[in-house]
Amino acid sequence: MVTRRLAALLLRTAVRRWPAASRAELGREWAAELHELARSGRRWAMLRFAASLAASRAVTSPVDRVVPRGRLWRTAGVLLLAPPAGLAALVLAATTMNLTDEWLAFRLSRATAVQLPVWAGGTALLGVLLAVAVVRCARRTVRVPALPTALGVVLPIAATAAVVLGLSAGRGERGVAATVPGVLLWLALLVPAVWAAGALARRGRTRTAWLVGVLGALVAADAAVALTVVAAIPATAPAVADLPPDAVDRVSAPLWLFTCWTDSSFGLPRPTAWERFLITDRVVVEPMFYLACTPYAVAYAVAAARPPRAPAPGPQPVAAPV
Amino acid sequence: MVRLTIPVVKVLSALLTAPDEPRYGLDLMRLTGLPSGTLYPVLHRLRAAGWLAADWEDVDPVAAGRPARRYYRLTGDGIRAARLALAELRVPAPGQRPRAGDVGPAGAPAW
Repeated sequence: MVTRRLAALLLRTAVRRWPAASRAELGREWAAELHELARSGRRWAMLRFAASLAASRAVTSPVDRVVPRGRLWRTAGVLLLAPPAGLAALVLAATTMNLTDEWLAFRLSRATAVQLPVWAGGTALLGVLLAVAVVRCARRTVRVPALPTALGVVLPIAATAAVVLGLSAGRGERGVAATVPGVLLWLALLVPAVWAAGALARRGRTRTAWLVGVLGALVAADAAVALTVVAAIPATAPAVADLPPDAVDRVSAPLWLFTCWTDSSFGLPRPTAWERFLITDRVVVEPMFYLACTPYAVAYAVAAARPPRAPAPGPQPVAAPV
Repeated sequence: MVRLTIPVVKVLSALLTAPDEPRYGLDLMRLTGLPSGTLYPVLHRLRAAGWLAADWEDVDPVAAGRPARRYYRLTGDGIRAARLALAELRVPAPGQRPRAGDVGPAGAPAW
């Protein structure tokens, strides 16, 4: 009795993996086969029958299984080129920041205060434009489940980050090794965020998908910045001369990401101006990279999860003349 | 067009042993040695390609003491296509004996 119930449970799982149009008939057919096995007392065969169906690959419609070669190349191109494009957006925004800074230096007393907002604003703007371009391309990319999509988005970002960090280390830049844990944490947390966004979009909950994807990506970036700062700057340190201590109070940790983007404490007592200086001196490029990549990562996951457009209805068949 | 994998070839071979005889799932599992998780996707693909037809058994479940089964059989197109495909793969289709003077299929085998 238990075996049969377990087998029936497995079959219910299995039947959900098939196209909706086939489910009712397959459920009926498999129940008949299970009955046959139960009648002959073949309990293990019953379990094998049901478990094999439950563990087999999900069946999609034959139309969905045919992936044109061009679509594969387009998918690979979009996913591989987007991270370097995000990096280019970051560099372009930094160049804009430098030009703006030079222009403002003679016109504004505290021109340095707008450096980070200009950089972050430019990066965000270009990141959104990149996301729009990626979404357009995503309409003609391969549709796969949410987890492979998330991995397909995040792994090229990881590869790009690895190349940049490797080149930086090769040039002997300081602090590269200390950057790695934060970047790894960001990538590790970005995968579930993009995965969840894709999974929700697949169920038609597009608005929730966006919300979860963006919030998840923000949490990932925030945690990554916090990890880098905590690993590099102590919470307390002795004061030297008249300068404040080289320490950052952990109480404001959730704000550090936004501090890196805006150079602001948002009217709160922490982080102090000195703490902001320490934080942005230690971690500033990574938050911009996170900002450049996040819009397209979430946008691709949501766009790729949408059902393909139904083909235009063809002409109705006309009855042959009698 | 159906992509000819080994499970597909096994199912086609089994069905071609008696093309007019309808088979149900467990029957085909026994004939092919394929697990259910492999067999049913193959049947699905063959049906989608029009090579296979499926019909419910016309039986009264109460009188028979069991639910009706679904039977599969090759369609006319399916029989022709399956024989051709198996011949091209150099798999001798059951029930088909090579005749004297027959020339083998051209080209290299697909595996």
